[in-house]
Amino acid sequence: MTTLFAAPAADADAPPSGATQGRDPQTDLRYWRWNADGILFELTQRLPDQTRGFFEARGFDQQIANEIAMSCVFQTNFKNSAPSGDGTVAFDLSKWRAVTDSGRHRLLTREVWHRRWSQRPVTKAARIALEWSLLPTRQRYAPGDYNWGMTSFGLAPGRSFTLEFNWVHDGRTFSRTLTDIECAADIQQPPG
Amino acid sequence: MRQYSYLLALWWALTLDAAGESGLQTLTTLPDRPPAPAFTLPDADGATHRLSDYHGRVLIVNFWATWCPPCREEMPSMQRAWEQLKDAGIAMLAINVGEDEDTIFAFTASYPVEFPLLLDQDSTVVRRWAVVGLPTTFVVAPDGTLAYRAIGGRAWDDPAIMDRVRRLAGIRGGEKF
Repeated sequence: MTTLFAAPAADADAPPSGATQGRDPQTDLRYWRWNADGILFELTQRLPDQTRGFFEARGFDQQIANEIAMSCVFQTNFKNSAPSGDGTVAFDLSKWRAVTDSGRHRLLTREVWHRRWSQRPVTKAARIALEWSLLPTRQRYAPGDYNWGMTSFGLAPGRSFTLEFNWVHDGRTFSRTLTDIECAADIQQPPG
Repeated sequence: MRQYSYLLALWWALTLDAAGESGLQTLTTLPDRPPAPAFTLPDADGATHRLSDYHGRVLIVNFWATWCPPCREEMPSMQRAWEQLKDAGIAMLAINVGEDEDTIFAFTASYPVEFPLLLDQDSTVVRRWAVVGLPTTFVVAPDGTLAYRAIGGRAWDDPAIMDRVRRLAGIRGGEKF
């Protein structure tokens, strides 16, 4: 595992570490994890082929499933890991940014996908599956609470970016970055 | 697809294990105790269930989906909890969000449960309950108010959780008080 913590210069009380990255030995997929300041936040690559299969199985046609799959999707876990009774954690994905050499990009949240599909032939069942499989855009957690869901960043397969993310813990705002995050390449995983 | 599902489940189990998170079992007290929103939903066998059917009893209401790894992870513990709570009059319902009977039927082959699995196919009820992520579970008090909430999976047969549920039903040390 490699530490890749990088905190904004203005945040003087940021801890020296909290971020790790690694590669799952079973799946060979990369992950990035932040485990400090009262939260556990983890992004794990999803191959476009995985995402295509997931959404085709839930009623999306191939073209639309492919559009989602090619939008840099990560499996995501966000948890309030503070000790019991230590305050709530809240986040708002619309405030997070993926930073590349071409600019700062908003995440493709539930609301963004909803707007995209409003004029497209997507069944109600498929819309519901997409909405609930994505990490909530806004959420508030008591200690021990967590969600699991997908996040999508609208970047091409194989693209690298820095994630600027923030959350509020017990009334205090934390802003952190995870660097060198990489969208999964569009490859087929060999059977194994 | 099946291989991916397996790998995803494996990843989830490893994530919980690596982060040491599987041991923290909490229920959040809802201080304002809002009334539980009413619903009328079919179960997987076609029978109709209304919230009002359970008035006067403690009711555990779980919102879930078959594709959601933490939902699947907690389901066996819900069954074990229900086996220990049902004789005390405590009820349990799991409301599936957005899927059909065939999908749920296939799911129960791998995750057999005996409490009712209801279908909220158009996600109307889950929105009324102000849920934004799955799984989310509420414990409804006998007066029909929301007493506790858990966002994310739990080990529902954990003694600390079971004790809080029993106390809400007025049971201490196996006796009603």
